[in-house]
Amino acid sequence: MSDCGCDKAKAELEEYLHNELRHEDAADIREHMNNCSDCAGEHKVGLVLTEAVRRACKDTAPEELRSVVMERIRAIQTSH
Amino acid sequence: MTITSPARAPGVLLSPMSIAPNEPLDEHEAEAEETIVEALENAAAPTSEELRGLFEEQALPFIDQLYAAGLRMTRNPADAQDLVQETFVKAFAAFSGFQQGTNLKAWLYRILTNTFINSYRKNQRNPYQHTIDDLEDWQLGSAESATAGSNAGRSAEAEAIDHLPDSAVKDALQAVPEDFRLAVYFADVEGFSYQEIADIMKTPVGTVMSRLHRGRRMLRDLLSDYALERGLSVGATSRRRSNKKNESDIDSDNGV
Repeated sequence: MSDCGCDKAKAELEEYLHNELRHEDAADIREHMNNCSDCAGEHKVGLVLTEAVRRACKDTAPEELRSVVMERIRAIQTSH
Repeated sequence: MTITSPARAPGVLLSPMSIAPNEPLDEHEAEAEETIVEALENAAAPTSEELRGLFEEQALPFIDQLYAAGLRMTRNPADAQDLVQETFVKAFAAFSGFQQGTNLKAWLYRILTNTFINSYRKNQRNPYQHTIDDLEDWQLGSAESATAGSNAGRSAEAEAIDHLPDSAVKDALQAVPEDFRLAVYFADVEGFSYQEIADIMKTPVGTVMSRLHRGRRMLRDLLSDYALERGLSVGATSRRRSNKKNESDIDSDNGV
């Protein structure tokens, strides 16, 4: 197999990260990263960034909101 | 066609009532077909009691996620609560038309996003929102090469981002322009596919990709700057533990 090179890898890294590449393209990127610490490092930053956002955005709805929503839904139902 | 068959493959996207009219039916066939569909619908039509039960069971569990998304949209808890409330009321009103087995989460997010755009966005000062997709990267203050450095630099960057307090990440997200911020949120937090995001935001997939790319770029630059300013960048391996107190102080700032 021939290495797809940094240009292709860099261009598609984000789609790779988001699982948007076709199977074969993803395999190319993976293979390239095995041999290229530059692209592997770039990918690592991407993963860490995604993880940081995910971690930071875990919010829980206030209990009050939940009960208000239930009330309103029930009110709608009985008015029909 | 509204099908009430119990199990459809999950993940099938909701295209509103789309019937591909590839094979033209003659009038009688079409009529017969309609009658059958109608009969099926009537037979299976749930009572309003059942519908509410179903809604509470299926849709309500998404309330935390929708609230978190609402916070990213409105940037404050009071508006986020109103937005989520309104979203659920609209969703319930439309729920009898929801095709069971299709992607409920994407459906709810579409209602959330629509509601936000229609009722909240116009109240915010956002005069440049519609032109921002057309701006060049340099105008947005983010350059592809800004952090393109050595391998060592990159792994220090990853390390620094990994150790940032949640409040810093939230603040940085809030600083990213709305459409970019939402694309990042939908992809990275909710794990929606590009196509699903395109449907939710009503934009072409290419626009989604560009918003995502730019949003992530901006976020990364902001976070790297933040880390640099606080000297968290290089060799910060043990920071999390040693600065624990400091970090929880920052967290208690409670950036939304």
